[in-house]
Amino acid sequence: MGHGRYIDPFLERRPDYVIGQGEQLSLEFVILPGEDRSIDLGIDLAGEGASLDVKIVYLSGYSEKVDIKLLVHHRAGGCSSQQRIFGIASGSAQVGFYGKVVTAPDAQKTEASQLNRNILLSDAAQVRTLPQLEIYADDVKCSHGATIGRLNEDELFYMRSRGIPEAEARALQMLSFLSPVVPEGQQERIEAAVRSILPA
Amino acid sequence: MDKLLEIKNLHAGIGDKEILRGIDLCIGPGEVHALMGPNGAGKSTLGAALCGRPDVAVSEGSVLFRGKDLLAMAPEERSHEGLFLSFQYPVEIPGVSITAFMKAAVNARRKALGQPELNTGEFLKLLKQKMAFVKMSPEFSKRDVNVGFSGGEKKRNEIFQMAMLEPSLAILDETDSGLDVDALKIVADGVNSLRSPERSVIIITHYQKLLEYVKPDVVHVLKAGRIVKSGSEEILRAIEKDGFDQF
Repeated sequence: MGHGRYIDPFLERRPDYVIGQGEQLSLEFVILPGEDRSIDLGIDLAGEGASLDVKIVYLSGYSEKVDIKLLVHHRAGGCSSQQRIFGIASGSAQVGFYGKVVTAPDAQKTEASQLNRNILLSDAAQVRTLPQLEIYADDVKCSHGATIGRLNEDELFYMRSRGIPEAEARALQMLSFLSPVVPEGQQERIEAAVRSILPA
Repeated sequence: MDKLLEIKNLHAGIGDKEILRGIDLCIGPGEVHALMGPNGAGKSTLGAALCGRPDVAVSEGSVLFRGKDLLAMAPEERSHEGLFLSFQYPVEIPGVSITAFMKAAVNARRKALGQPELNTGEFLKLLKQKMAFVKMSPEFSKRDVNVGFSGGEKKRNEIFQMAMLEPSLAILDETDSGLDVDALKIVADGVNSLRSPERSVIIITHYQKLLEYVKPDVVHVLKAGRIVKSGSEEILRAIEKDGFDQF
């Protein structure tokens, strides 16, 4: 599955995080409405059995620019990485996601997943997403995916038919969409942010 | 007010296709009406038009509900007025629990009616009571709405929601289809317990099983977007014997 020859992605740049044998790293980012943000991280799973969990939630509803670049390198065997980047773009926000997972030839028994899910609430908002996998080991479980969608209209009508006002129904949908990546203790902040970017 | 619902010359369709071609129907308080008819007659479209489903466009006619212009209301306002549709195909809402869903619904309705919202304790008490009433296991309250439910569980969840919202007009769209006898009895008990001199029910069905448990006051036959026959239970016997072609 690799294109051509394996090249260590951290020859040209240094990783921001190196995860050693048996260590765990968990990273959480919350990007709120009105915030321009650029995240560019390189993470090296360098020791056997290292594990990584990345959760990023963004909510952009004005004219923000959000850029997220994640480079994850499985250098050693038996490591696991999970990346979830979920967000909602409204207004004329511009969001870009560029993610790359590289599995070195010796990184057998790697488990890596990368999921970027986006909801567009307005026609002027833009999301670009480019998830990539480079696999040079043969005994690995890797998955990646990206979705860009809108809120489900059947769900919306079902909720409204039960008396839930449209704005409240949309807020419920958005919160349920984001819930897998909302960090502990941040529920209320996210709820307020969701309500602030609801289209009138 | 002698009429709860008054439909006059209702025309409605989906896209370019006209499905309802002049429906006239009056329902008084406390009445149960059965709406029968072959597939494609427009039964479900009528229920959808009454509840304001966005893809159903009304082109002509009027609907008064408790004396108010129903067609001018948003779907949520129709619910607050006391209209309830039990969906033929209940919608799954991943990530939203039945508790969160119903709490939002019950409190939105109370707010619209100028009543104080229920606090969590009061709400959970009501939820437990209504779940027990429709014989739904309490563990369902934590599950996402309709996600992974069997066909019967989805229908039972519709009746549970109806019991929570206590509508003055409930429209049951094929709520009986695909149910075994036990589930059918639970649906029937739910409907019968809601019956009162003020509350009315429209039962949309093309079977007759549910009508053995919930006796209709009036039976209508809908064909090609019009009501072609209205009458008493005798119509049911005629349908059973000779089908819909006779009308």
